[in-house]
Amino acid sequence: MDFFLHILISIGHWLPTILGYNLIFGKGKILHFGPMGVSAAVGYSLLVTLTRTGNLPLAIAASIVMAIVISTFFSWLSLRLESDAMGVMSLAVYLAIIAVILNWPSITRGALGIRNIPRLPFMESIEMFALVICASSALITFGFYFIYKSSLGRQLEALADNKEHAQAVGVNQALVYTIAFIVLGLANIFGNYSAYTYIRYMHPNDFSFVALIFSVMVVVAGKPGSYKGAIIATVLLVTLKEAIRFIPIGAEFLGPLRLMIFGFILFAAVWWRRDSLFPHQRKI
Amino acid sequence: MQLLANALIAGSLAALIAGGLALVYGTLGVFNLALGQMVLIGGYVTWWFHQSLGLPLAVSIIGGIAVGSIVSWLTFEIFVDPFYKRHRFLPLVTTIALSMILDAIILLLFEERPKSIWPEQKNMFDVMGVRIGQEHILLILITFLLLITFAYIMHSTSFGRKIRAVVQDDHAAMSVGIRAYAMHRLIFVMSGMLATCGGIFIGIDQNLTPVLAFPITIKAYAAVIAGGRGNFWGAIICAYLIALLEQFAVGVKWFGAFYIPAGYQQSVALVFIIFFLLYKPTGLFAGRARIS
Repeated sequence: MDFFLHILISIGHWLPTILGYNLIFGKGKILHFGPMGVSAAVGYSLLVTLTRTGNLPLAIAASIVMAIVISTFFSWLSLRLESDAMGVMSLAVYLAIIAVILNWPSITRGALGIRNIPRLPFMESIEMFALVICASSALITFGFYFIYKSSLGRQLEALADNKEHAQAVGVNQALVYTIAFIVLGLANIFGNYSAYTYIRYMHPNDFSFVALIFSVMVVVAGKPGSYKGAIIATVLLVTLKEAIRFIPIGAEFLGPLRLMIFGFILFAAVWWRRDSLFPHQRKI
Repeated sequence: MQLLANALIAGSLAALIAGGLALVYGTLGVFNLALGQMVLIGGYVTWWFHQSLGLPLAVSIIGGIAVGSIVSWLTFEIFVDPFYKRHRFLPLVTTIALSMILDAIILLLFEERPKSIWPEQKNMFDVMGVRIGQEHILLILITFLLLITFAYIMHSTSFGRKIRAVVQDDHAAMSVGIRAYAMHRLIFVMSGMLATCGGIFIGIDQNLTPVLAFPITIKAYAAVIAGGRGNFWGAIICAYLIALLEQFAVGVKWFGAFYIPAGYQQSVALVFIIFFLLYKPTGLFAGRARIS
């Protein structure tokens, strides 16, 4: 039962983040490989404020400000750089954010991570925690449905299809990109809160390259830009990720095995979606 | 002076890796995000030949380069070739998958503990007040020799002219009888070979650890992008520039008041490049594309 609840909580905290990333990478075809940088910046501003002040509204306000600032910066980067340069430089920004977290121990506790993260009093039991997180996640997921179907979703698709044509019919690229990036940033607030109040501990390694690959893999496997696909892929791949730990091999082999399995799944997903992941621009 | 010498050493290593990448980007238009892992494989295989099998260093280095070249050829055949003709961004994602697979293989075969190809005490010299090791001098000389050889091949041989033709426009090159796709394969393997040499140098000079891969990749590509993507000489200059920035960032007492902590060394240079690219997205030495 506990493992079932654990899976539910894991799916609950991944879903909003994946749907936010799918909006950018899947629908907008923006090569943004820095979502873990956004997640780390937002997560640390949320949980450092929370553990130091014990004031959740203040922590959420701080993380919203951070989400807007960091997302706007990534959006600016995507507007200035060519797509592939954006891919590489977003990774560079991600590295810089992790370096700040690791080298600013007076605030972030560096490589020690943040411990004793408090939960809300009524979420102390695992059953109640799972219920609240799953209900909130379902609500946010439902909200994303409207974002995907809204003019924002359509405009992102139009920009991905042909930037010049979309701009010619009045799509404001800067505004659309900035909103999409901020949506991802805000989704990260929920993702971080639910993930780290669950285990009551946050470490810089939680925002590793592997977590980025997992996000890319889920988006590609679920069909880029697809709302339903992202949800189904999240459910299946989070379950697989958690189930791998039951393979009866030594702990020293488990990490590399997980890396290898995810690598092969990502490769297979790209192979399978090679015609739809980055479709050719339509020409008249 | 010591900072300049350090920058020259680090820059030579980065130039070795970034130069090959700039050519790959120029001809294929793709980024290979498993590059850092390919660098490490060269180093680790050389370590295995030398330290575990007890082969002489020179033989181990040749073995490391050979294995690195085979890995880069397989990378091209499996992770790049089936995808880059469909869309040039696809290999960016497939090579991310490859980087995970190679990371796992490195962890399984060589574990996380640091490995040094040449753990013996290094001979250090004092040259005009600068302390420098013999392997550093060798690296600077080899890089310099490679660059001269490369400049000669590129600008004075028919093979170089073919490469430049493919870089400028592969379809136009094919129309005059140049086998552009064979050239793509060759250039990719050559860049892998240079990356392997970089890995071997890291293994000789410092220690090899799996965590090195990702920063190596990002720094090399930062040089390629800042140098004006696909511009070979631009990438080389920017590789040295990034190394110089890294050394000065942590080696200088800023405003006579404070030092930047060493942990920020790589990030300071990358952030500088990012802000520079926001100002000039085409890079330092972007050439105008020929359009017909």
